[in-house]
Amino acid sequence: MAETVIGLAGNPNCGKTTLFNELTGSNGYVGNWPGVTVEKKQATWRANREVTFVDLPGIYSLSPYTPEEVVSRDYLVTERPDAVINLVDVTNLERNLYLTTQLLETGRPVVVGLNMCDLLKERGDVIDTAALSERLGVPVVEVSALRATNLDELVTKAVAAGQAGKAQAGARCFSPEVEEALGKISQIVSDSCDASLARWYSVKVFERDADAIKELSLSSAQLNQAEKVIKAVERSRDDDAESIITSDRYDWISGVMDACVRKAPKKLSLSEKIDRVVTNRVLGLPIFVAVMFAVYFVAVSTVGTWGTVWANDGVFGDGWLWNPSDQSAYETAVEEYDAGYYSDKIDGFIAAAEADGMSTDGVADAVVALAEDPSDADAQAVVSAFVAEATAADVVATDVPMHDGDGNFLDANEEVVTRIDAEGEPVLADGQELAVIDAVTVSDFEEAVAAQEGAPSLEDYGSFVPSVPSVIEGWLAAAGASEFVTALVLDGIVAGVGAVLGFIPQMLVLFVMLCFLEDCGYMSRVAFVMDRVFRRFGLSGKSFIPMLISSGCGVPGVMATKTIENEKDRRMTAMLTTMIPCGAKTPIIALVMGVLIGGSDAWWVAPMFYFLGLAAIIVSALMLKKTKMFAGEPAPFVMELPNYHFPTLKSWWLHVWERISAYLKKATTIIFAASVVVWFLLEFGFAGWEGGNGAFGFLSLMEGVPEYYTDYSLLAIVGNAVAWIFAPLGADTWQAAAASINALIAKENLVSTFGVIYGIGDATENSVTMWSGFAGMFTDASGILHVGAMCAFVAFNMLDAPCFAAIGTIRRQMDSPKWFWFAIGYQCVFAWVVGLIINQLWELFVLGNFGVWTVVAFVALAAMIFQIARPMPKQGDSEEKILSDLSESAA
Amino acid sequence: MASEAQLPLAMVGPNETARVARVRGDADLRQHLAELGFVEGSSVKVVSRAAGDVIVSVKGARLALNRSMASRITVVL
Repeated sequence: MAETVIGLAGNPNCGKTTLFNELTGSNGYVGNWPGVTVEKKQATWRANREVTFVDLPGIYSLSPYTPEEVVSRDYLVTERPDAVINLVDVTNLERNLYLTTQLLETGRPVVVGLNMCDLLKERGDVIDTAALSERLGVPVVEVSALRATNLDELVTKAVAAGQAGKAQAGARCFSPEVEEALGKISQIVSDSCDASLARWYSVKVFERDADAIKELSLSSAQLNQAEKVIKAVERSRDDDAESIITSDRYDWISGVMDACVRKAPKKLSLSEKIDRVVTNRVLGLPIFVAVMFAVYFVAVSTVGTWGTVWANDGVFGDGWLWNPSDQSAYETAVEEYDAGYYSDKIDGFIAAAEADGMSTDGVADAVVALAEDPSDADAQAVVSAFVAEATAADVVATDVPMHDGDGNFLDANEEVVTRIDAEGEPVLADGQELAVIDAVTVSDFEEAVAAQEGAPSLEDYGSFVPSVPSVIEGWLAAAGASEFVTALVLDGIVAGVGAVLGFIPQMLVLFVMLCFLEDCGYMSRVAFVMDRVFRRFGLSGKSFIPMLISSGCGVPGVMATKTIENEKDRRMTAMLTTMIPCGAKTPIIALVMGVLIGGSDAWWVAPMFYFLGLAAIIVSALMLKKTKMFAGEPAPFVMELPNYHFPTLKSWWLHVWERISAYLKKATTIIFAASVVVWFLLEFGFAGWEGGNGAFGFLSLMEGVPEYYTDYSLLAIVGNAVAWIFAPLGADTWQAAAASINALIAKENLVSTFGVIYGIGDATENSVTMWSGFAGMFTDASGILHVGAMCAFVAFNMLDAPCFAAIGTIRRQMDSPKWFWFAIGYQCVFAWVVGLIINQLWELFVLGNFGVWTVVAFVALAAMIFQIARPMPKQGDSEEKILSDLSESAA
Repeated sequence: MASEAQLPLAMVGPNETARVARVRGDADLRQHLAELGFVEGSSVKVVSRAAGDVIVSVKGARLALNRSMASRITVVL
């Protein structure tokens, strides 16, 4: 048997993708968002590899209105599949048959599959399949794509029809007058096209469809002749040609409906009842806000955070315990251990001994060595000598401050002290008291050292799973890798990619919920509810879904823009959607809020940043809409609202997986490469320190390198070279520039870069040391924190080009270098201008400084306000898909 | 037909059923709306309505339209 190619065609949401997956077993995605299948998918039949299916996008007709329709009709008319399976949603039979009448005209054998008959039976309607088959002139099979019933019969009939190769020449669905005109046109075009396509082209010429007419390359005499025929019908019907065609099709379909369908009396369906509530003028928005709040509460505040902690601290940190009872035992042990404040006692006692004039050289190191290996004889000797001497001198440490797990000072109420001075000493508010251990004696010290030797360790538990870095470190050591290779792999690649993969648990939780909302049908209602709000800003309600997804990750967010039909709206949304703070930007938020208000736990912090992101998008949209590139009303909103249904677990999971895997792919390709490059920039440099020879090399292995050598790295050189860009923003240090560059790998790298640059090691965004280090960058010589500069810097990093992963996605989505660079350029310039305005306003109104940049900032602000406020400039009309007169196309 | 009052679909109240009289707009838009079922004479039921944005039932399918779209569709009650 020769190979058979079968096209799958049908309306959006008719179950076509489910059918495709059932037939081929391929992991296509099944969704409820109208028009989700934009690519052409192809796969062979499970039962017979010689049958190939091509999944066409969901369309309502074969007109040239949307790209999906153009793709489908080009495929049917020029690539000529052997047969077409037209899947029809019987709950929407009338509308679905509209496409069927057009498919019949393409001159290909068609088999109709009636899907969702079970839903119809629930409604009490009955379809006479035989009568329908007779009317359409093609085989009709009742199937259920979801339950995989009758699918083999459907395909077998399609294969048979394809092998017979006899196409039904289109239902005679037009009124006699139109049929007569079509006959005349058919004679005109018969020489220019294949006989099987005569009907198709006759109808298209009658409709004056510009694309189809171009394919025929008719002479102007032929076109004028056709125009005369069309004009005559238009005059007698007092309507334009394509409306005549459309309404004739519907008339014919209602005849078919009357003959083949017996309808039960109509009740208000459940979906309609739900829609009454969720799209209600008053309740719609509050319900949506409540749903979103619940989603983010689960994804960001509870379950998602547990997952992120597990991934970052466990899988990519110190390892983890798979047995929950081991985990809780470990946590109890740690709690008990922490309650002893042993390391505070040790540090405090050694400091006190030093203050008493004792030599404490090597004692601290010896204590650390003992904690790792209690039988270390050298360390034991050092510590016992120290203990003996301290006993003799009767050293007692008093008022030793206590620290929490992040290394922060605690006050008497066990709250974190949120301010420290330049020397790292705590700064207390009025009435605040530092939590201290009153006295640490020699025996306390000995006890603490002993306790540290037996400190609870994950490895002591049976269910310990070592972390990825430690496993890889083991392999590298076993393979005898050089120090350079080990550093490259562990600090460069594993750390970079691991930081990104750490977000997967949180994204997974978020997408499980968002995909459910999409698949069950709620999201299309949200798009409709939000359209009312967004339209004022020149955006379509459909732009809102990508923004929601971007709050998890910009990569799937940008990808979600493909469901927006209007090209301008789609481009603008892809460009702006990453301004919504994604998961990786939350550490930056935590950092800046830590400096400003001493923590980011307040409930309003996260919503405020989402709101700021949204505000940036709205301002941008209002400005861009008035440029020539984006001019024009957002496409009027019309969208099908599918019936609510509970998605099958399989399609739900496939949808989540599609989103997550997009992110994974980026993490393992683009971010992988970028991590290596940035690691190289950070670790290589010139030995420019005191006593250094100025040679180029791998810094950490060079002679006499200081502990924190980032100042001499290539990154510092690059940072210095571009630091001038940030000068008007108030942060003209190379550190700020370097951190911004590093943040392009993944936004949370901004925080860790500061850790490395300021030598605070692995301090987190929750550590007061990190807050003061970050604040120190914006503090001038007199010790005043420059809040304006700090906010400008943060605003720049929130709004500028997203991480490389998202940038790569934007490039693919824009599919044009010009648009891609415009998008990235706009994001960076806009972010810079916002930063400039923030900083310069602060300079002027708080610090009273006035300079050239103040003027620039005001000019920029005025320009933005002007662009937002000015009336919409007039623009020319877009190109026409339907001609008003055939003689135009001949010219 | 001329004797009946015509009004934009955006002004039809919830639960009311109307017939499409004509669709205004450029050819592409008219064509698209026609494909979705808004052809002359077809019956449209308004399921819900908020400030001119409507959800309607037409040809067995449920569609959401914003005000600017709904104002282009003229109906008779």
